[in-house]
Amino acid sequence: MLPCFLAAALVLALAGHATAHHSFGVAFDANKPVTLSGVVTRIDWRNPHSHVFVDVKGPDGKVVNWTFEGYPPNVLSRTGWKRDETVKVGDTIKAFGWLARDGSPFAHLREVTLANGQRLFFGPPAGTGEGAPLAAEPAAAPRP
Amino acid sequence: MRMPTTLVLGLLASTVVAAQSNAIRPAPRTPDGRPDLTGVYQASTRRGGWDAEAPGDAPGVAAARRAPDVQAAGRPEPIPYRPEARARAEELLARRSADDPTTLCLPQASPRMTGVGLFPVQFVQTPTQVIALYEYFWVFRVIPLDRREHPDDVEPSHMGDSIGRWEGDTLVVDVTSFKPGGWLAAGFVHSDALHLVERYRRVDRDRLDYEVTIEDPNVLTKPYTQRITLMLREGTRLREYSCAENNLDPKVYEKLMANPTLFLRPGAR
Repeated sequence: MLPCFLAAALVLALAGHATAHHSFGVAFDANKPVTLSGVVTRIDWRNPHSHVFVDVKGPDGKVVNWTFEGYPPNVLSRTGWKRDETVKVGDTIKAFGWLARDGSPFAHLREVTLANGQRLFFGPPAGTGEGAPLAAEPAAAPRP
Repeated sequence: MRMPTTLVLGLLASTVVAAQSNAIRPAPRTPDGRPDLTGVYQASTRRGGWDAEAPGDAPGVAAARRAPDVQAAGRPEPIPYRPEARARAEELLARRSADDPTTLCLPQASPRMTGVGLFPVQFVQTPTQVIALYEYFWVFRVIPLDRREHPDDVEPSHMGDSIGRWEGDTLVVDVTSFKPGGWLAAGFVHSDALHLVERYRRVDRDRLDYEVTIEDPNVLTKPYTQRITLMLREGTRLREYSCAENNLDPKVYEKLMANPTLFLRPGAR
């Protein structure tokens, strides 16, 4: 007898969106959302994933350089990002995403809040790698 | 309250634009009377992304109207796996799709390339062929319309060999000669016996219905049909997606594989 959740996952495998480049759930934990603020030290607009590197000061005062992963440049552009304009090195941003499973300072980046309050998606919603999306996002602010 | 004239005019104009964009416009036709599939499409209506349920909130090009939710129209049937294929799918899902060949930037059979949503697809139609251009992995298919049989010197490939024909207003494409091991969806691994029959129908200017019948006697007990709605994205252009450029994921995965308990679903074998 197939467990219920797995049967549902098998049905949803085709109904839900397929992963674009790789499974979310292998490297990231959809049950570990994270919001961090810090100063951008580098942005890599590259395929198959762009990365934003951010210096984040921990509660102990120690600064750790985090790596945030998201959409490729094509998709960022369609999502409203302008290279070298939207975010520059030295800018302070707030990043919302999900932590890497290996405990390193690495996360999947869903949404960035800029210093002026503007919010932009940087990556897709969380998934599980099991064929079905998993809702683990906090309630989003109203969108136009 | 007295509204400024410009604001009133602006509101009126935006109402007119909204009404126009929701109108059903007829599908364009070629000089020889066939429906013309030419255009850039995405399997979602969201600007930039793929979440059909969330209206776009960013620049980019949205579809003229929301796609009808064909999946909601009828609960999709479970994939009719043979027992051994079901066991394999369970195992792969328990491994959270770590073995998905797209991690290595390999193109997959057309249902997945067409339905990915995040990346647009462009069709270019001539009287004798249809070219499908996929931003996803930056690959293409040439679909001849003037061949009745597949060539006899075809090498198995990731996307197979395609031949197309018109059945009324529907473009029917027969696809064979696949390499085994591609993924049609999470855990849905096909064999070299995969055979696809695709049906493309431009219902109206903004909507292209895609229906694919998936046959694979090594994996499925009966043919399985999937439906995807593609929406025209006027103003969207395809841009290079060179997946291998900086693909760090195989290394990340290799490290995780050394300690699979980190990512295996709880209770997985």
